[in-house]
Parts: sequence; structure tokens; C-alpha cells
Amino acid sequence: MLLVGEGAREHAIASAICRSPQGPKLYAAMRLMNPGIRELCLRSGGDVVLGDSMDPGFISKAADRFSVDFVFIGPEEPLFRGAANAVEGMGIACIGARREAAEIEMSKAFMRRLMWKHKIPGRLRFQAFRNLEDAIAYIEEYAESVAIKPARQAGGKGVKVIADFQAYLSKEKGHVKAEHAKAIETKYMKGYSDIEDRILIEERVEGPEYTVQMFTDGDSVAPFPLVQDNKNAYDMDIGPETGGMGSISGKGMLLPFITREEYDASIDIVRRCVKALEAELGVKYKGIISGQMMLTPLWGPTIIEFYSRFGDPEGVNVLPLLRTDMVEIMEAIASGKLHKVRMEFEDAATVVKCFAPRGYPERRDLAAGHPVRIDVEAIRAMGCEVFYGSVDLAPDGGLVTGGSRICEVFAKGEELPEISERIERCSPFIYCLDGWGVFHRSDIGSATLLKRRIEQSELIRDVYRYRMEKGLIGMDIDWIPGKGKIIHSAW
Amino acid sequence: MAGIIGLYGYDPAWKMARFIYYGLMALQHRGQESCGISVYDGERILCDGRAGMVDQAFGEAELEALRGWIGIGQVDPGPPNSPKPSFAKCPIGLSLVCDGSAAGAVKAAKERGLAVEDPQSALAALLSKELADGDPFGAIERVAGILGGACNFIALTERGEMIAYRGELGIKPMVVGNFGFDYGAVASESCALDVIGAELKADISPGEAYLFTPWSIERRTIGEADPKYCAFEYVYLARPDSIMNGRSVYEVRMRIGERLALESDVRDADSVLAVPETAIPFAMSFSNATKKPIGMGFVQTGRRVRSAIRPTQFERLVGVQLKLNPIRAAMAGKRIILIDDSVVRGTTTKNTVKVMRNRMGAKEVHVRIGSPRIISQCPFGIEVPDKDELIAAHLNEEEVGKVVEADTFHWLSLEGLIEAIGLPRGSLCLGCFTGEYPRHGDRS
Repeated sequence: MLLVGEGAREHAIASAICRSPQGPKLYAAMRLMNPGIRELCLRSGGDVVLGDSMDPGFISKAADRFSVDFVFIGPEEPLFRGAANAVEGMGIACIGARREAAEIEMSKAFMRRLMWKHKIPGRLRFQAFRNLEDAIAYIEEYAESVAIKPARQAGGKGVKVIADFQAYLSKEKGHVKAEHAKAIETKYMKGYSDIEDRILIEERVEGPEYTVQMFTDGDSVAPFPLVQDNKNAYDMDIGPETGGMGSISGKGMLLPFITREEYDASIDIVRRCVKALEAELGVKYKGIISGQMMLTPLWGPTIIEFYSRFGDPEGVNVLPLLRTDMVEIMEAIASGKLHKVRMEFEDAATVVKCFAPRGYPERRDLAAGHPVRIDVEAIRAMGCEVFYGSVDLAPDGGLVTGGSRICEVFAKGEELPEISERIERCSPFIYCLDGWGVFHRSDIGSATLLKRRIEQSELIRDVYRYRMEKGLIGMDIDWIPGKGKIIHSAW
Repeated sequence: MAGIIGLYGYDPAWKMARFIYYGLMALQHRGQESCGISVYDGERILCDGRAGMVDQAFGEAELEALRGWIGIGQVDPGPPNSPKPSFAKCPIGLSLVCDGSAAGAVKAAKERGLAVEDPQSALAALLSKELADGDPFGAIERVAGILGGACNFIALTERGEMIAYRGELGIKPMVVGNFGFDYGAVASESCALDVIGAELKADISPGEAYLFTPWSIERRTIGEADPKYCAFEYVYLARPDSIMNGRSVYEVRMRIGERLALESDVRDADSVLAVPETAIPFAMSFSNATKKPIGMGFVQTGRRVRSAIRPTQFERLVGVQLKLNPIRAAMAGKRIILIDDSVVRGTTTKNTVKVMRNRMGAKEVHVRIGSPRIISQCPFGIEVPDKDELIAAHLNEEEVGKVVEADTFHWLSLEGLIEAIGLPRGSLCLGCFTGEYPRHGDRS
């Protein structure tokens, strides 16, 4: 097996693969030396190779060099660049979507068009722009509550959501929207020439977010327990957007604030998208697909974005719970027989907290290059587990920060607040040796935050059920003088 | 008393002055004489303090000039001659807004060789000096020690930090919230967050300090928290749409009305009327509880004015008369239960009752007050007059009833108020009703 990627998510994937009773030999192709993945590879009798892990050429070469049977691609960027196509071209099975299918994550405009064309529930109104001028003209014309995004997946960055309800603040918000559209063009989309749409403006929706992750062989899906990530950098959901500061999952496959019905509806939306992709492209989606969902007044379960991979940190919550043999799953995906696999999970609640160096997320230059110590033994003694993230193994055997989240600490148990507190006790064991600050969110999984999420979802649930009863689901009706009734129907 | 707000942006694209401006409008009831805004533009702090209400003091041009993505603001009942926000530049450039009594800062500043007469400016100067050693929480702790626990402040530094501190007695309210990924917010009352579209997250605890930097929010409790939440906030000072110390002000006021009904109903009254605007929830729930219909007795002229906190007797009188044009049809020939929020000197109530009876033709006027007897002056910066001027400190209910010429007169009991607030008695400051105040460093 060759695993591509170097983050905490890939560490968790490696760990799940190595638990297979079939005793697979694990190899890894990484950009930084993740010590956790390295250890697992060496222990399994495999090896690691360092290089540009986003480059399909490098990945193919590594697959060839280690003569592997399977390639498992962790992050999205190699998929966008055709790593799965390259590997399959060599006759090697790949867990990871082909370039064409991964478009569902790479191009947010493509994804929305697909959902509209196939009338899949949970879709949002959007406008895609191929140049900045058109986007700004639109922003200037309409004072709306919107999400302004790079049209391409850009490492999870560059999304700005502006609630624009107070007319007296609209001008100021319009200014920020326009500035952000500029920033998308000059900063977030700068390095990407593989897409024609540049800026996406979507209607803003509100509600609790959650992630539904699943394997698929293109026909059936094998879902994981629900997870919720927390994107604000600091406690109480304050602070700038990060790639995720930690996440929770509950017992019984659900979260305490999402119903079974909503979970099933979410999986169904993702499944319909997989089938729609096949209808459009003629290729089967083989690998992992995740819906980053929100419970909204408009639809109930609604797609915010797709991932063509596990979420990070969301994957780290649920991969350790997987009891089914990962190798068996991989074989089933390759042979199109995923429906024969029984997915089994340990029935536990989980919390993952990410630890990041000061400077993350805005100034990775400041956050990188600090010698850091993670006392894995002490953390284990607390009943928690470390998955290494953005760290590099230095020549002296120590660790150095890579600029993003240093590591993710995982723990499982019965009650989320207890698990959260257990991880809190691990925070003294993760620190920079040069005194540079390391931060994390203490409130992930806490009773206070849970209560807030439950209250929010109950409110939204009441609204979307009311709209469902009134035949308003997926729909918005305006009346405009002189024009009459305008139905923005999503049906 | 003052209203303060601080907004910490995470994206330099934001111009925060207008958000602060509207936040201050939502806090206008906490001070109507002067106001000011300071912003940080990445290099400098721009500071603008003015006389008057926020929307009179600041126009387009003034707001445009205040470019910066981090900012603080203040509305204040004091005259504009003491600059608000304060500014200090020795050695750390800093602007500061505060709510509560900072009198101790003047003496402490003098001891450190800083000759500043105005307490708020003295506080700014002290904090600027203390912040120089690079340990912000140490600096906050040293300054907090001088303040004696009854003062909240928000400071903005030229290093791009924002510090928010709630005095360890927690007398003055302060909350924290946010707007998506874009800014963090602190404010005296949650209504200021609502008005700018931000979301309330929590009360800042007594003694708690928040340090916002571009890379972190750190929280620490300084000293020993000893909650003594101001009960008068719930009765009169705060806006009913605020949530304060975990309690909805509206709900408290509705319970006060219920308590009043329980304590002192009038059997054969025709109608319940409120003196606008604080007493409206009292009257609504009094009516609900007693099944006596509520009416609308008065219409206000001009903008909303907090008559009790106007600085001079003349201004108070103007404020009261403008806000109380009676509706004859609501009271002529009727037996009225008149509900008001407080009686300080008794003159306002007397005028109101007289007009109702002598000119509007009310048959009976029974006065019910949604606040316990105010008998003592507040040392924490609430503009309650001297004890000599407080009618409740001198006369009993029956005597006051005769002074104001009411058929019957009743003040809410202290127990009734405590129950309505729903917080333990020990965690409240009830000083204006009892004369007993919590320990206080700079009581002067």
C-alpha cells in the first residue's frame, strides 16, 4: 500500500490500514517527514519517500519503486492534478477520485451546476464569475447576505460569509465584499490556472454545520459516523477561519444535534451527487466523498461544499473507530463490490483538538520553523492519542513546526465533555522549545458549546419543518412591485 | 455609568468606525452627554471625542476619517471636557474607554508622577505605563488593583492589541461576542451586538480580562472574582433587549410586574398605564397577572431621553414633560393604576399624577413603582442624587403617597426585586436600596 500525504488525517489513515489483520506493508509519499506515519511504515516493513506529494509524477514513481498493489491518496490536491488517473493508468488500484470526478470538490461552480442540473436537494443559488469586474459589478448591484468564495478549492481558504441584514451597515459590508473579491483574485486564486471560473458568490445560509464522510465505489456508499468541525480559531467560536480547530462525533453514528432522518437525508444527497457525476462524466467515483453540510431553514440538510477525501480533522475522529478491515474495504472499492462490505464502528463519542503554533492561520511564516516537543507517552497515559500534523522531523531527531496545525489529539469515550476535559489535560505536553506560543480550543466538546449547537439546530429544525409543511422547501418567494411574484424555486 | 464597545477585526478590509457608531447608538441610554470613537489602522490610533449624542456628534465625514479595522467607543453621561475616549502615549500609544468609577486612578497616577486630573485619562496613562514591560496581564493586574473592582475598561494599543477587563465586582455589565470569522466584539450590553449583527457569546466574568492580539485571544481572571451585579441595571439602566449576567432584562422586568401585582393590587381599578418607557414591561405583566386591561397613557415627543440621568433639574423636567404627553381618553373618568420605574425626588411623579387627575380627569390614581425605595447615592458612577434629595430616604410609603397625591402608593419590596432578578442576593449590589455597598477601593 502506498499512502500519499503527510498530515494528521493521513496519520489516521495509516493507522487504520496498519490495523488490518492482513498485515499490509505500508509505504508513504510525503512532503514533510511525519514521524507518526514514518513509524507505522517502518514497523509494517514498508518505507517512506519525501518529495512533492501533490505531483502525480512523484506519486507514480513512488508506486512503481515500491511496486504497490494500492495507492491511497489522502489530500485533495493530488486528485485535482490527476494522481488517481496516473496511478490507474499504471494498472494500480487507487483509493481517490479521478481528476474528472474530483472536480466536485475542486470547482465549486461545477458542483453547484451539477446539483441544479440534477435537481438534487440541498443546493444553493449561486453566481460564478470569470473575472473580477463582473463580480464587483454584481456586488455593487445587490446588497445581499452572501458567501464569497474562490471558485476553486484553495486549501480551504478564502471564504468570506457576510450577513447583510442591516441596511445601515450595507455600504461598509459592500466595501468588504468587493475587497474580498479582489483578494480572491490576487491572493487565493493566484496560483491556479486550471479553472475558468474565478469567483463564486452564493446565497448565505445559516445553521449548524456537520460533515458526512463515506467510501464509495461509484455505486454504493459506506458512510462513517457524523462529525462536526469547529472553524473559528478561538474559544466560543470567535476568531478568524482556520482549516478546523477540532471536531466531535457522537455515539450511534449521530451528533447530539442531528437526527437520524437528517443523517440519512445527507447521505442520500451525497449518493445522488455521485450518481449524477457518473451520468455526466461516464466514470465511476472510487474513493472517499464527504459532504460538508449545514442544517438550513431553506432545505434542512444542505451542501456547503464537497470533499473528495476525508475532512481534516473530521477523518481523525472516525478512522480510529473503524473496525472493518481497511484492506478489505479498499479491495471492495477497487472491484466495485463495496455493497458487500459491512461497515463496523466502535460505538464511542470522540473529540479531536488541533494544536497550532501562534501565527496560524494568517501568518504561517511566523508559525513555521519552531522546534516543538510532543510528549506522546504522557498524552497516551491520559488516555488520548496523538496524530502528527504539520511537523517535520529535523536531522537531530527533534520536530519542527511546519506552519499549520502541529498535531491533533484524539480521545474517545462515553460523554463529550469528559473527553474534552481529558484532552485539556494533555495541553502542557505540546509546546515549542523556543517558547513560541501553541494554542488550541478548550471548548470543543464542552457542555456549553454542545448546548449552543443543540439550541441552534432545534431552532433551524422548526423553521425547515414549517417550510416543508407549507411547500416552501428549497424555495423563496418574493413580491416585487411592477414585476409581481418571483419564485426562486430550487425544484 | 457609560456605554462602551470594542470591535476586533481580523481583516484589514473592515472599516470599523461605522459599526462602533451604531453599537454606540444602541448604548446611548447609558450616556447622552458626550461620546467618542478610536480606531487602529495598523500604525496609529485615531481618536475622536465629541459632545452630544452619537448621531449628532458623528457625521459621514467624521466616520470616514476614522479608518481602521480595530476600534473602541464610548457614550458617557459626563460633559465632553474630559476627553472620551482617553488617549495616552507614554510609552505605549493607547486609547481607553471605561464604565464605572476610576477615581482611584488619579491618585495612583500622581504617585507615579503622572499629573492627570480626569480619572479616565489617568487610567489610560497608568495602563500605558504598565504595558511597557511586555506582560499585558501583569499590567492589567496592577491597574485593576488600583481600581477597586467597580470599573470596566476596553483599551486599544498601538501594538494592535485590544484589552477588555470587567472589574472583579462585576457591578457594570460586559459581554463578548463575534461576527463570523470577521471580528470579535465586547460591549457593555448585548443589545449593542444585536444592532451591528454580531452574536452574543458570553458574559465576561467579574475579574476577567480578555487580550485580543492578531494571533490569539487570551483570557485570565485577575484577582478574586466577587460578583456584585448592579440590581439597578435590571430595574432601570439596561435596555430590555439585553441579556445581562445570563438574565434577560425583559424577563426580569416582566417578573417585577408580576411581583408588584402580587404585593399590591388594586381591586377595583379600570386600567393599568405605564410611564414610558422602562415601566412598560412592568405594566404589561401587572395587567396580565391581575387581568386588568392595559392601556396606553402617554406619548413621547422627540428622541428618547433618560430623564433620571439628565445632569440638571431643568433638563430633567424638559425630558420628563416631553416624554409624557397624556392621552386623555385613556384616563378620563377611570380608576388608574400608574406604573413607573423609580421615584427619586418625587417631583416627576407628583406632576404626572396631578396632570392625570386635575387636567385629564382620572378618577383615581394608584401609583406602583417597579423599583424598591432608592435611599442612597451610588459610589460607582450612577447619577443618583445626594441622600438629601431622595424622598424614599426620608418618608414612608403613606407619606410619599400624600406628597405625590396618589390614592395609594407602593414601592416594590427588596425581596420582590431579588426574586425577580433570580440571582442570589449575595451576588447583587443593592446599595442604592439598602445603603450597604460592597468593598470598594476608591470610595471617595
